[in-house]
Amino acid sequence: MLLAYRCALASPQITATAVETSEFPTWADRHGVMAVPAIVVDERPRWTGSVPEDVFVDRLLAAVRETGTAVSD
Amino acid sequence: MSLLGERERDAVASVWEHLAHDVGVRLDVGPVATPVALLAAGGREIDTNAEARALVEELCALSDRVTLELFEHQEAGAYPSLTVGAGLRYVGLPWGYELASVVQAVAVAGADGPALSEPSLERLGAIERPVSIDVFVTPT
Repeated sequence: MLLAYRCALASPQITATAVETSEFPTWADRHGVMAVPAIVVDERPRWTGSVPEDVFVDRLLAAVRETGTAVSD
Repeated sequence: MSLLGERERDAVASVWEHLAHDVGVRLDVGPVATPVALLAAGGREIDTNAEARALVEELCALSDRVTLELFEHQEAGAYPSLTVGAGLRYVGLPWGYELASVVQAVAVAGADGPALSEPSLERLGAIERPVSIDVFVTPT
């Protein structure tokens, strides 16, 4: 959750929301959350588990590229 | 009744004593809810909106740099919802381990210096459209 927040602080394009799964089970079910932390980027489930900063950024950028072309090289 | 023990209050105060900037915290609460038994609160039956309000008010009083704005909503929704600084929203009652995350989030928002390493900042700078990250967590 903190890495997602750090990303949100680092880029004005990014917003981060943490959802307490046991209080909002329907929200979590919608994304098929089976384990936490589960990371959903632009409404699509991406990965589960804590990862180091560089891996988090890798996966985030891969997810953004896959759902659009709005990443400059 | 205080929700935080003396050790917890001291721990939060020592993390927040290094805040270089003011940090705004916004709490949105819904109408009084049916109490639910929450594992993270030791199985107690609690109204999460009321509990969040008491907890966040107590937290924010621990630093002059942290200011709280409270919004009460009449209709049911995804509440309680806590917003820290500009970019983080936490939906639910931040209890247990997640309370520490919220305390750290305030520390990051109020810190001098960048939130991430230089290479990460550079790479994230290439994102040219809005991106939402949702993180599903549990408080234990």
